[in-house]
Amino acid sequence: MTRINRDRRAALMLALMSLALGACARHERQVLLPGGDDRRGRELIDRYGCGTCHVVPGTGSARGQVGPPLDGIAHRSYIGGTLPNTPDNMVLFIRQPQKVRPGSAMPDLGIPEHEARDVAAYLYTLK
Amino acid sequence: MRRTARLALGIMTAGLIAAGGAGIFVYSGAYDISATDQHTPPVYWAMQFMMRRAVAVRADESETPAGLAQAEVVRRGFALYHRNCVQCHGGPGFSPEPAALGMMPVPAYLVPVGREWTAAQIHWVVKNGIKMTAMPAWKHRMSEDDMWEVAAFVKHGLQYLSQAQYREAAANLPAPAARARPSGVEGGVGNAAAGRRAIDQYACATCHVIPGITGATRQVGPPLRGMASRSYIAGVLANTPRNMVRWLMSPQQVSPGSAMPDLGLREQDALDIAAYLATLHGD
Ligand code: HEC
Ligand code: HEC
Ligand code: HEC
Repeated sequence: MTRINRDRRAALMLALMSLALGACARHERQVLLPGGDDRRGRELIDRYGCGTCHVVPGTGSARGQVGPPLDGIAHRSYIGGTLPNTPDNMVLFIRQPQKVRPGSAMPDLGIPEHEARDVAAYLYTLK
Repeated sequence: MRRTARLALGIMTAGLIAAGGAGIFVYSGAYDISATDQHTPPVYWAMQFMMRRAVAVRADESETPAGLAQAEVVRRGFALYHRNCVQCHGGPGFSPEPAALGMMPVPAYLVPVGREWTAAQIHWVVKNGIKMTAMPAWKHRMSEDDMWEVAAFVKHGLQYLSQAQYREAAANLPAPAARARPSGVEGGVGNAAAGRRAIDQYACATCHVIPGITGATRQVGPPLRGMASRSYIAGVLANTPRNMVRWLMSPQQVSPGSAMPDLGLREQDALDIAAYLATLHGD
């Protein structure tokens, strides 16, 4: 009984396989940060010079090696090694790294909240 | 001529069909990877046989130290066994811990192993572990002497102990001496190739992207690609070889509250890993 069921299911699976293989999963653009504009964020990253210290894909000349590279930062579990990677914590770290990590080599750059949200929105496109 | 061409074509087609079939099998998810689904007898036999042969070929009998059967050596081996092995392999009257009972393959009761295997073979398995099983490699946690002593116990002690004797010996074990953690970094020479192997032994790959390490794809912490060119370690220490060793041995001291745990690296392992990281230049 279950044996037949299993065989049937396997056959069905094989039939569906060719379809599944063809139709690659399409990537939806996810908005992880409500209220943040990732395009503005990218410009701000150039303006604030994050690239002097970080590798940031997709921005002009961001190849700095002072701090960690930011490619894949959307998937990173922790920000600055201590904060769980949530949008709120990302905004907090971008605005006040010295508060999160006193003595860190990442300086407070005086970024206002709304701009930090835009920057964070761009960082969350880096998967 | 025509014939060889046709033969070659036939072989190629068969190969393609086989590869395609294997691909479909994998992708379909039909293979049950659960630890509750036992291996079929041929698979089990093949793996068991391969493991026995691999150990027999690699264990060097001539390295067996003299006097392994001495009571004093076996007694020290017992203490090591009871602290490090009984939770998985059990002992006379001692069940493995719950977590070990759920493993596939389930850790063997070691009395038959002590009877059939040589001390050198047991030592080799203890030292190097067994891939795709939960058997750990102990060479980064135990000294060479300790590994021989625990092998001596499995070979010359375990099989002769009754439940009552084992229990009594366990009850009389002194509390383990607190391991002295090295504090300062003395300095020494690291070996990048040894570091690459050591990285697999301290779970670094579960948290970092590390070029040259298979499966190191997760970003719990920053990627270590380009670590050699990065100015700071964890944002606080200047990236010098000495500081890297310090960081690897005690991240919690350098950066209290960091999600990177103290992993108990021995100094030589830290030196070796630092040497490997120093080869990872920026992109
Ligand atoms: C002077 C160099 C410097 C500048 C400029 C700089 N950073 Fe950093 N950044 C660092 C360092 C060093 C770290 C590691 C900090 C730590 O762990 O304490 C870091 C860490 C980070 C992290 C966390 C990365 C991780 O893996 O945990 C993010 C996100 C980040 N920076 C974003 C930015 C953004 C966005 C900008 C521009 C607005 C910027 N940084 C500008 C040096 C800099
Ligand atoms: C985390 C659980 C675990 C711990 C701890 C552990 N082992 Fe194992 N061991 C295993 C597993 C799983 C296998 C492979 C399955 C098996 O026994 O064949 C294995 C296999 C072995 C084998 C090969 C036996 C055989 O028949 O395959 C020996 C010998 C052995 N272990 C000795 C030890 C010794 C000595 C210690 C303590 C220093 C130890 N193990 C600690 C899980 C463990
Ligand atoms: C449980 C996850 C975890 C494990 C295991 C782990 N790390 Fe980390 N590692 C982190 C985190 C999180 C950070 C960021 C720490 C911080 O900034 O405080 C980090 C930071 C680092 C850094 C500094 C990176 C930078 O950009 O400054 C290095 C180097 C490093 N780890 C190497 C290793 C090595 C080598 C191992 C294995 C011996 C290892 N890590 C094991 C999570 C881990």
